[in-house]
Amino acid sequence: MNPESEELYPIAILIDELRHDDVSLRLNAIKRLNTIALALGHQRTREELIPFLDESIDDEDEVLLTLAGELGEFTEYIGGPQFAHILLQPLENLAAVEETMVRDKAVESLNKICPQLSQAQLEQYYIPLLKRLTLGDWFTSRTSATGLYACGYPLASPASQEDMRKSFGQLCADDTPMVRRAAATHLGAFAKKVGKEHLISDIIPLFNKLAQDEQDSVRLLTVTDLVAIAEELSPEESKAYFLQTLKSMVADKSWRVRYMIADNFLSKAVGEEFTREDLVVAFVRLLKDNEAEVRTAASGQVPGFSELIDKDTILNYILPCVRDLVTDTSQHVRAALAMQISGLAPILGKEATTEHLLPLFLQLLKDEFPDVRLNIISKLETVNKVIGIELLSQSLLPAIVELAEDKQWRVRLAIIDYIPLLATQLGVEFFDEKLGALCMSWLGDSVFSIREAATVNLRKLTEVFGVDWAKQTIIPKVLAMGTHPNYLYRMTTIFAITAMAPAVTPEVIRDYILPTVTNLVSDPIPNIRFNVAKSIDALIPVLMQNPDTAPLVDQQLKPALIKLSEDSDNDVRFFSQKALLPVQ
Amino acid sequence: MGSDLDRQIQTLLQCKIITEAEVKDLCLKAREILVEESNVQRVDAPVTVCGDIHGQFHDLKELFKVGGECPKTNYLFMGDFVDRGHHSVETFLLLLALKVRYPDRITLIRGNHESRQITKVYGFYDECFQKFGSANVWRYCCEIFDYLSLSAIIDDRIFCVHGGLSPSINTIDQIRTIDRMQEVPHNGAMCDLLWSDPDPDSCTGWGLSPRGAGFLFGESVAKPFLHNNGLELIARAHQLVMEGYKLMFDEQVVTVWSAPNYCYRCGNVAAILEVDSNLNREYTIFKDSDRSSMNSRTNPQREGPPDYFL
Repeated sequence: MNPESEELYPIAILIDELRHDDVSLRLNAIKRLNTIALALGHQRTREELIPFLDESIDDEDEVLLTLAGELGEFTEYIGGPQFAHILLQPLENLAAVEETMVRDKAVESLNKICPQLSQAQLEQYYIPLLKRLTLGDWFTSRTSATGLYACGYPLASPASQEDMRKSFGQLCADDTPMVRRAAATHLGAFAKKVGKEHLISDIIPLFNKLAQDEQDSVRLLTVTDLVAIAEELSPEESKAYFLQTLKSMVADKSWRVRYMIADNFLSKAVGEEFTREDLVVAFVRLLKDNEAEVRTAASGQVPGFSELIDKDTILNYILPCVRDLVTDTSQHVRAALAMQISGLAPILGKEATTEHLLPLFLQLLKDEFPDVRLNIISKLETVNKVIGIELLSQSLLPAIVELAEDKQWRVRLAIIDYIPLLATQLGVEFFDEKLGALCMSWLGDSVFSIREAATVNLRKLTEVFGVDWAKQTIIPKVLAMGTHPNYLYRMTTIFAITAMAPAVTPEVIRDYILPTVTNLVSDPIPNIRFNVAKSIDALIPVLMQNPDTAPLVDQQLKPALIKLSEDSDNDVRFFSQKALLPVQ
Repeated sequence: MGSDLDRQIQTLLQCKIITEAEVKDLCLKAREILVEESNVQRVDAPVTVCGDIHGQFHDLKELFKVGGECPKTNYLFMGDFVDRGHHSVETFLLLLALKVRYPDRITLIRGNHESRQITKVYGFYDECFQKFGSANVWRYCCEIFDYLSLSAIIDDRIFCVHGGLSPSINTIDQIRTIDRMQEVPHNGAMCDLLWSDPDPDSCTGWGLSPRGAGFLFGESVAKPFLHNNGLELIARAHQLVMEGYKLMFDEQVVTVWSAPNYCYRCGNVAAILEVDSNLNREYTIFKDSDRSSMNSRTNPQREGPPDYFL
């Protein structure tokens, strides 16, 4: 084989594979394009490979999709940015194919290449490409075109810029809704590039037109445009240009549009003044919408919106709606509200929270739908900060205790997570009286995760109330479970011991815990035995800390591990040998 | 024990796939373990018995949250790990990896869906192809299906099988003589074990199954079978039970179903059966995990293979 043909070999394989009947081979070839390009060198990649790829565009969508992605990263293989325009040709064709995913990928790649172009390249190649796509016969190319304006605009000459604004306007008025949807999707990004003067003179009229489109699928996409454009304007300007549009969006006959506006009710973008005067009515309207989806989305915005208005307005306008939503017929609305309602507490302050919100919390805590209960519990922390734990626990403790035995284990879990905080605030006496028994009952829960969380909870409680308290109240009960007939509960004893070890003193381990551990070494169930080995692994460092208890490691724990390391069960041997390693 | 395997288990636990080469290696190791198992695998109590999973990976993780992780808790899965759910690949590979890592802590027996023909139709084949770009992983897994044991027996007292009984089998020893290393046949003892259902209304004993494979067996065959073999319970899966489990025939046959909100739309709860060392039985009920329920509610056009009809 002569050197010449050897050089040709890789491209020969590629061409073979690219033309192969088997899609997976063609796909592989495309994925290896950069290797082939490296082998060919810059010049031949430009002159042979790219034109070849351009011709092979009639393929399965999967292959085209990969090709469209690869080309976006291809600049370095054709000799750098000064040749980047060569990649535009195949991508232009890909941006016009029927399959949306391929087109989107091609547009994405074009957006990567565009910033690499010089102004001359842009004017000579990119702008004409944009024109061709914009004037394409088939809606596919026009759809793709809408995504290419924003990145090309800043570098274009003023004359081209003017053309671009005009032709984007044509796309916004396209006959097909597909193109108008694409234009609405990309209008926001384009608006941010044109500068304020043209924004007001050219873009806002386009926006207004799209916002009144006959198709709701177009109108709903303009909500994000509104937010994007408003970010570029002063509050006064926003108000002047958008108030009317906003009002009509809120009252749109399509609930999907109302949903979008409810979900994006980010009034920050349109300014505080604007909010206070005009949007309260609009927002209230969304909170009372006929469609549950809209109310759900609006519920999520309650604290965010309330932050921007004064307290009286909240109490007079928003709170009555919230009160209605607490008893909404849709569980999803109530769940969304439960997630957000506590965010009102810091805004309203202690007094108003106690007066107005606490009754609503209580009602949500008793909701029949578990997600509602769970959501409200997981956010109680926020309320706690505002009104103090004492008030919170007094009013909510009965409900919390009830939830501690909830049928849904995730609700129980959420309560457990909340216990250490309650304990800190309530003090030992009150805690022992109201919650002590509860904490122990979780150790015997039928759900493993609850038992596990209960052991961690005990460690945290030990940290709060001290070792002496633990020694008297919880440790005896934990150790007593070590003789439970069901191995799953005996296991809980081991987990509790392991979890609590770092929080108790070495003496407690020696006097209370070790006897139980050494006892369980000869448990009939292998699962217990290998968890004992794991537990000993965790106890050793704690005992080593204190010179009085350090000898116990050699006296008691090592012999126990050695015994376990000769066990008949594979897993017991594995975990005890692992625990033995550091002490040998 | 290899740390590679521990790492693969960690990867699979996050619902991420391992490489094709790792699957091949895992299947080779699994084969060595499974080939040693009997058609009626002996299992010691305590053990937690589970029914169909059907690729509902996040619900399998929920199951482990409720029942305890493997190896802390011993498990017996009664087949139908794959098909219908979105994550058959991750589900089966995780269970298989756990089997290889902790062979004494987890037992897997074969369900009617652990078959080439069935997985080609109900999703596992397509999912393998989609996630690995070839059918190789499907082929490796199907080979392992042939090695899976057909049934298990807990402390000589509880007989566990995916479907149920067969008219060609009167004693447990007859199951032991089946040559199981094959694709599930269309009839005969092996097929029946994986396909049969109990029939609460039957008076005559055996009936034709509407499934077209296996039989319906009545109280009048189940009780003598238990008595003749010195058993106290048949635990089986194979049928959706809205309440998670269902006792029949004077509590001598139980159906355990472990796929909550089956196919992400049935609205059922799931159950596991915890058998302690004295063979006391406790059923724990659980619902679908947040993740799968959220998927079905807010994201009906999620990625993954298409929905299959019940």
